Amino acid sequence: MTGTADSPRPGPRLARGALYLLVFASLVVMLFPIGWMISTSFKPGDEIFIPPPRWIPRTPTLDGYRVAFSHAVLVPLLNSLVVAAGSALLATGAGALCAYGVSRMRFRGRGALMAVMLATLGLPIPLLMLTLYVMFSRAGILDTYLGLILGHTAITLPVVVWMLKDFFDVLPQEVEEAAYIDGAGLLYTFWRIVLPMAAPGLAAAAIFVFVTSWNEFVFGLTFTSSSTMRPLPAAISLLFLGEFQYRWGDAMAVAVLVTLPVMALFVFFQRFFIQGITAGAVKS
Amino acid sequence: MSALFRSHRVASVAIFAPALLIAGALMIYPFLNGVVMAFTDATPTQREWAWVGVENFDYVLSDRTFWEVLTNSLVIVGLSVAIAAFCGLLLALLLNEGLAGTRLYRSLIFQGWVVPWITIAVLWGWLFNFDHGIVNHILVTLGIVDRPLNWLAGSVLAKVLVISGFVWRIIPFMMVMILAALQGVPSDLHEAARIDGAGYVQRLRFVTLPLVRSVIIVAALLQSVRLFQELTLPLVTTQGGPINATTTLSLYTYKLAFERWDFGLAAAVGSIWSGLLILISAFYVWIVERGAKQ
Repeated sequence: MTGTADSPRPGPRLARGALYLLVFASLVVMLFPIGWMISTSFKPGDEIFIPPPRWIPRTPTLDGYRVAFSHAVLVPLLNSLVVAAGSALLATGAGALCAYGVSRMRFRGRGALMAVMLATLGLPIPLLMLTLYVMFSRAGILDTYLGLILGHTAITLPVVVWMLKDFFDVLPQEVEEAAYIDGAGLLYTFWRIVLPMAAPGLAAAAIFVFVTSWNEFVFGLTFTSSSTMRPLPAAISLLFLGEFQYRWGDAMAVAVLVTLPVMALFVFFQRFFIQGITAGAVKS
Repeated sequence: MSALFRSHRVASVAIFAPALLIAGALMIYPFLNGVVMAFTDATPTQREWAWVGVENFDYVLSDRTFWEVLTNSLVIVGLSVAIAAFCGLLLALLLNEGLAGTRLYRSLIFQGWVVPWITIAVLWGWLFNFDHGIVNHILVTLGIVDRPLNWLAGSVLAKVLVISGFVWRIIPFMMVMILAALQGVPSDLHEAARIDGAGYVQRLRFVTLPLVRSVIIVAALLQSVRLFQELTLPLVTTQGGPINATTTLSLYTYKLAFERWDFGLAAAVGSIWSGLLILISAFYVWIVERGAKQ
């Protein structure tokens, strides 16, 4: 494209400098909120209200992080961890089996199955929650990990099936075929041969589910009633609307705490996701 | 390969069971049951529900709040997606210039894609704080406004707050999608246009944009469907106010259901919302098919 590295006619140096300036400026604007969050999280309560605002705190403090690592936040954090891990396991497991079937077998309704899976992603979640609330309440699993895990599994499963179907499609099939011809059972082959080869795909799918569950807010708020079961986003919203109202330093430290784990996970798997979400774009 | 599965009849049906069960019981059934619920006076406190015909729809459609909420949703989601698509396009064009450090830049920006909505909600509350928020500080320092703006009090200002949060969150996705499409534009097309004397703007308008247009539309539609669901930011920062100015369809449905406990009404709003989604999807399919033909 215009002025790429191998372009026969590189633009004048000034224009290039201007482009770098633009890139830098856009980066500053985009990362500004995150930077301000981190900066505020290290400020003591009184300094936050002293104008003019400063990037580097005058007297940096870890008070905010002491709150972030207190009981009121760590219990919800643990809840989120359990729910996210449980959802990741369940959605990846169920999704991998289904995706493998769709990838390897030809049957009527195969396309329809995938289309329905995709369509469920758009269904209004508050509408689904009405029935789920009644179902879960009758089954006695409101305010339990199981209820949240089921909810988060449902909303992520379609993506997992799509991700892994694409992944299985390009996986070499010779070893599998040899196993079947030797008389190995389907589940045995799937468990011992397919899954190990698909490990990177499974990891990416599991991370997708984990991150989605970790970030999910409205199920967590509605399907739990006791503070000992509440996941982190719901707990933060209640703290934020209540006792955290004007304690911005503490609120920012908690916000950093909820953001950091998913960002760290994402750093390692970003390339995979970029390939995943852009594959469709390039095809169409 | 398919033939090999014939001797594993039971297992080859069984592997679909968990996913079908989860999707069926926790997505499809709740959706269908939700539509049925829209014709009842359902509340979670009563076990027995009575049919009320189209009463819920009657009420909703003649309620001014509903139309306000629908307009809000279209304005907030529509503007957010349009602005994010525009910014995403600009960033993608910039990154497609082959500057050094492009991949690092893309990675940094793309991190925004996983920032939890609750973080954005709490953070936006602080950035846009009336007395001490940095946004007001910057606006006043630059002389754009005389005195701090009360972002939570004005219906336009509150919408700006919500839209800016939505935009910030979806720009990374837009940028990555559009950049991928730009990189797929064959460079000989540009060469040909350049030899014919086309300038940058002309090449952008007649070569690049027509080729990436369908990707932009698809990405925008995907994000609109996603943003229609989003309620964390308005719920936590503005609580849908002032006077419903930032109440979107999802927040409205949520409030009807879990604050007023009127499941029948909530189901009616949810059903109308689903109808809208079907229209959007039909448009999406039409765009994709048209793109495939070209």
